[in-house]
This record gives sequence, structure tokens and C-alpha cells, in this order.
Amino acid sequence: MGWIDFAWPMIGGASLALGLVFLLAWSRQPRRYGYAMFFVTALSVAAFSIFELRMMRATTPGEYAATLRWAHLPLFTLVVSVVGFVRLHFHAGRAWLGYLGCGLRAVSLVLNFHSDVNLNFDQVTAMLSVPVWGGEHIYLPAGIPNRFAIVAQLGNLLVLCFLADAASELWRRGGAGARRHAAMVGILFLSLLATAVFAALLNLGLVRLPTLLSVAFLAVVVSVAYELGWEVIAAAQLAERLRTSEERLQLAASAGALGLWEWNATTDEVWMTGQGRELFGYRADEPAHLARFLEAVHPDDRAAVERSVSSSLDGQDRDFLQDFRVVLPDGRVRWVTSRGRIERDGTGVARGMLGASQDVTARKDAEREAARQRDEIAHLARVAMLGELSGSLAHELNQPLSAILSNAQAAQRFLARDPPELDKVQEILRDIVKSDKRAGQVITRLRSLFKKEEIQYSAVDVNDAVQDVLALVRSDLLSRQVSVSTELATELPAVSGDRVQLQQVLLNLLVNGCDAMADAQPPRSLNVRTELASGGQVILNVIDHGTGIPVEDLERIFEPFVSTKPQGMGLGLAVCRSIVNAHGGRLWATNNREGGSRFIMELPAIGP
Amino acid sequence: MQPATVYVVDDDPEVLAATERLLVSAGMAVSAFASSLAFLDSYDARTPGCLVLDLAMPDLTGLDLQRLLGERGEMLPIVFLTGRGDIRSCALAMKKGAVDFLTKPVDQTDLLAAVSRAVERAAAQQRERADRARIENALAVLTAREREVLTQVVAGRLNKQIAADLGTREKTIKFHRGNLMKKLGVRSVAELVRLAQRARVEA
Repeated sequence: MGWIDFAWPMIGGASLALGLVFLLAWSRQPRRYGYAMFFVTALSVAAFSIFELRMMRATTPGEYAATLRWAHLPLFTLVVSVVGFVRLHFHAGRAWLGYLGCGLRAVSLVLNFHSDVNLNFDQVTAMLSVPVWGGEHIYLPAGIPNRFAIVAQLGNLLVLCFLADAASELWRRGGAGARRHAAMVGILFLSLLATAVFAALLNLGLVRLPTLLSVAFLAVVVSVAYELGWEVIAAAQLAERLRTSEERLQLAASAGALGLWEWNATTDEVWMTGQGRELFGYRADEPAHLARFLEAVHPDDRAAVERSVSSSLDGQDRDFLQDFRVVLPDGRVRWVTSRGRIERDGTGVARGMLGASQDVTARKDAEREAARQRDEIAHLARVAMLGELSGSLAHELNQPLSAILSNAQAAQRFLARDPPELDKVQEILRDIVKSDKRAGQVITRLRSLFKKEEIQYSAVDVNDAVQDVLALVRSDLLSRQVSVSTELATELPAVSGDRVQLQQVLLNLLVNGCDAMADAQPPRSLNVRTELASGGQVILNVIDHGTGIPVEDLERIFEPFVSTKPQGMGLGLAVCRSIVNAHGGRLWATNNREGGSRFIMELPAIGP
Repeated sequence: MQPATVYVVDDDPEVLAATERLLVSAGMAVSAFASSLAFLDSYDARTPGCLVLDLAMPDLTGLDLQRLLGERGEMLPIVFLTGRGDIRSCALAMKKGAVDFLTKPVDQTDLLAAVSRAVERAAAQQRERADRARIENALAVLTAREREVLTQVVAGRLNKQIAADLGTREKTIKFHRGNLMKKLGVRSVAELVRLAQRARVEA
């Protein structure tokens, strides 16, 4: 027993151990074929080291020849697995070179097992005992070389070419990773070159040294293991970073009271964080899926949520973004805002959705309270303004009543005639009905303005609203000697809003326009114009011909308690602006070039 | 004599029609207009008439129309009708000679009484105008000398004084005086003085 008897099994053992590590790695990540290839390489080297040891210790030519014959098997698998590794792991090198090299090695393997002795020798004549370092003796063969060995050497040459090509290709790819890969393939190249040359020399009997192929192969194994080890380390670092990032995300999510979720479109399963489950009222162990989610949504909001989900899935909307109510198992209702993003595979098919939800009940409550207060103030301002207009409003009622009285008394007289003039009476009664209806309309309009009820959004035709308001303030305008001209755009789309509040804004703007011209000499004219903006908004202009507004006041007049009128409370325009803003529109003032000021209300139109 | 036409002006078509009917039912001759300008377009100052006028109207208000007619010297009697009469407008209208100032809705008794007074006034104005026209026609045929004598007689001077003033004899003055009284169709000096007053002959 000498050191060689220890060293070679150790080489085999080390190689096998490394190989097993990556066999394990491959079993976890089956798509990493490089790991499998490496395992085959390591296994081949381990097997070869045993054969090599036996060859060195073979005392008879027969024993040596048989061992060498079998040693060709791990050699073949070694070459094939190295080529496979470079191709599969680095996707480098010309494939045909590698395949051709492997092919020649396969042919040589067939020749090896077909020959009487082995691929290297036609006949092994004697075994020579050779002294080596450390006082050891090994046996080397002497015999007639087999000329078919050239096939294997040719195969080796091609594989070496393949490796050189792969190394240079990787080098040219650039980048730290690719350069390291190139160096690694370079080491593979050198190791295999060394073994090939050594084996050839040995075969020709030109050297008398122990066959150190296993040592060179170990270098191959170690260098590949080193390379793959990098990956394992990188993966571990990535896992660590991922864990940190996940922790940060969890922290952020819990700080923001965010529930995170992921919906898998294929299995319809929903994964949720604990916070997410709590948000939607799921039990901790309850399976979550899309139908269960929709069930939790408030019935009034369900259709909108479903629409939003399907339009995100269709790709019409980039993100799913929706505020909706959730009914908890105990019947409580909670406002939730959700944002999700569709995950798609390479062909654009939705794989699922990833998103976050948040409880916004408190915000919604505050918004509702703010809206309630705004409506309350708007109502108060409206009643106050109607109070100021009461004389004019009474007059609007007075006109039809006056007509009715005179008509009725005229009818009495026509009836009293001999013969009674029934045609006339007929005509009069028709007019009385008309006037009565008109009085009724005035009252209806007034009542709706005075009424304090829940704001109702519906489609409002701004032109109609203008006509309605003008009918109400007609006599006020008359007594102020203001004439109103209207330019109402035809085919104006409707806006979504509360009719009463929008009329209030109009009323306010008209009264303001009149006030602005109070000091001007008659004729005083007010122009009301509606138009459709190119952006699809409905625009209303109220243009007066007064003295205009000082530039520094153009914005200030919309602040509460700022009034240019001695008797004004300064709430009118502030209320108007808050109403218009609540309708998603804008209200502002400018001065006309030809004098006077202009109030502009812009409201989003209802889409076709 | 032609009866006075009642012109009704109101911008509210329903009120206008009803007022017109009520007046027609009371047997009046009525002509209705939807605005002051429409009225002015068709108004003929030679036909006797009175106005039932709405106060608040676009373009030309009731008060504007009253002022305009006054400036033109048309003394059309006006009954104002208003939905919201304020004291200032009322005072202004009455000072400028309005017959009445009524608030809508107006009862037929009030309206018809006021309009009757206006018609009455219109008729009186018409009579007066006719009278004056007749006198003016008569005065037009007097000679310059007769006119001088008339002025002096109306001023209450004696024939003798007039003769002295004009540098002629008393007998000549008596002759002129007889002629002019014959031409004017009066029999006494008292009648002559009344007529001269109506014709506003100045001393």
C-alpha cells in the first residue's frame, strides 16, 4: 500500500461527493440540466480514477488490457457530459463541433469493445514496473498500439476545438459573469488538452510516468464545481435579498394597513396576507377564490367591480382600480380600495392578478360628511338667495294669477251677455288652464330649489337648466333692466349632476352678473352661452358688461366671506365653486377684452 | 265723435290677452301690443285714446314710454298696471299725469273704473282739442287790426282807450269790434273773453 492507493480513491471520492451535491441540486431544480451534466462528469471521473488505479496496479498484460477496455466507458461519458455541460449551461460553442466530437468518441467506444484487446493496443506484451516519486512502483504497459486509437484522438481534437470556440465566444460576450465562464471553459480546455496529449504520448510509449489523468480530470471537476458553487452562492444571496425585501414589503403593508393578494387565473385560487383576509372578512383557513371575493362585495357595487375586473382582464384598462364596499360576515360594511395588476404570459394570456387592498372606510366617511356639510351650506346659500329674489319670484307667480283673474272676470261678462258668447268663454277657459299650469310650474321649480333633499345625480341638460333659471328670474332681470341674450349650443351632451345644485350655480352667476352692472347705464345686457369644448366638456359662459373684476380679485372672489357687495355675505361664489368641484368640473372668472367680466363653468360631459 | 281706443301694452302675452278680453267684454275698443316699441310703431296721435301700460318691460319700460310721449307732447291718459309697484315708480308716474297706478292681479271693478276715467279724460281732451281747433280756425280769418282790437278788448280796455292807443277814432274801433264778434260767433264781451281764454290769446 503506497500513497497512490490513498490518493486515487480520494480523487474518486471527492469527485463523487461533488457530483452528489449537484445531483441533489438538480433534483430540486430539474430544469437546470447543467447540474445533471456535472453529476455525470463527476461520476465519470470517480469511476475513471478507480480504473486508473487498477491499471497502475495491474501486474499482467491481460488484467491491464481488460481494465483499460472498460475505462473507456467513463472516458466517453466524461467527454459527452463536458460538452453537454458547456452547451446546456452556457449555451456557448458550436454545437456541431461538440456533437461530432462526441460522435467520434462513440465510434471509438464501439471500436474499443469490438477489438480483441482495447482501443489503445492491438496487443499488450508486457507490464513494466516503473519506480515513481515517494518510493512507489507502478506498472506501465508495453505493446503494439492500435491504429484505431486515432479515431478517439480525432474526437478529442474536435471536443477541444469546441471548448476553445466556446471559451472565445463567452469571452466576446463580455461582462464579468461571461468572462469568468470563459476562463472556466478555458481551464476545461487546458485540462482536457493536457490529458489528451499525455494519453497519446503514453500510448506511443514515449513517456514513462504514472497515468495522472485522474488528477487532471479532478481539475475539471473542481473548476466546474467552483463555477456552479458561484451560482449556489448567488442564489443564496438572492434568497436573502428576497427575504429582506419581503420583510420590508410586509412592514410597509402592515404600516399602510394594506392587504396583499394574488389571484391565479388558472386555478382560481387567491393567496392573501393575514391583513387581506381580515379586510375581506375571511376566516384564516377559508379557501379564497374569485367567486368568494365577489360575494363579499356589497351587492350595489358588485356589477361595477365585475366590470372593472373583466375590463382589466381584457386589457382595456391597464390596472384594476376600484373603490367598493365589502359586507363583513357580521353585517358591517367597510369601504375598500383595491388596485391590481394583471400578470400575463408571453402570449398575452392573463395568468392572474397581483394587488393590494386598503380599508378606506374612515376616509369615505369623512368624504361623505364633508359632502353633507357642503350640501347643507349650498342649501342655506340657496335659500338665502331665493329670499333675496323673493320679490321677483312672487312676480313670476303673480303674472299667471293676474291673467287668470282677468280672464275669469271677462268670461263672466261674456256669459252674462244676451246671448252668452260661448266661443269667447271657451277660448278664455283654455287660456286659464294654460296660465294655471304656468303658475304650477313656477311653484314646482321654486319648491325644488327650496327643498333640502339628498343630492341626486342624473343626466342634466345644461341648456334646459339655463332656460329654467331664466324663467325664474325673468322679472328680476326686467326690474333691473337687464336683458339676457342666450347662445345655446345645439346637440350639447348632458352632464352628470344634481339639477338643483347646478341651477343654483346658474342663478348665482346670473344675479352676480346683474349686480356687476347695477351702476352701469341701461341698456344692460347679460350673455349666456353654452358650448362643447374640444376636450368633450360642456362649457357655460355668463358674460356681463359691467366694470369687470380687478385682476388681483379674480381668484379671491371664490373664497368664502369675500364679497364686493356691501350687503353680500360672500358665500355665493364659494358655494358655487364647491358645487362645481364636487361635480368634477371647474369654475373661474376672467375679464373680457371689451369690458365686463365672464364666469366660466366647465363640466365633464357624460360619454356617448 | 269717435270713441277713445284703449291701447293695452304688456310684454306677458297671457296677461296681455286677458286684459284685452276684459276690456272688450266691457264694451271698449281695445288695441293690444306686446311691447312699447310695437305700440309706438302703430300709434296715430290723431285718434283719441288712452293707455293701459305694464310697468316692467324689456327695451322700453312703462315709465320710459310715458316720458317719451310727454316729450312729444302727446297727452295720452295712462293707467299703469304693475306686478310689483314700488312707491317711487308710482309717485313718478302720478306726477307725470297718470290716471291711476294699479297692482296686479287687478280686479275688474278697479280696472274698468280707472280705464273709464282715462277714456273720459281722453274724450275731454278730444273735445277740447276740437274746440281749440275751431277757435283757431276762426281766429285765423281775423285781420291784423281786428286781432289787435281783440287783444285790447280781452285785456279789459275801453273803446276810447283802444282808439287812443291805435291812433284812430272810437267809431272805427266799434266797427272792428262788431266785425270780429260776428266772425267769432259771440254775442257778448263776456263770451268773447271766455273764447279768447280758451284760445290762449294773450293781452
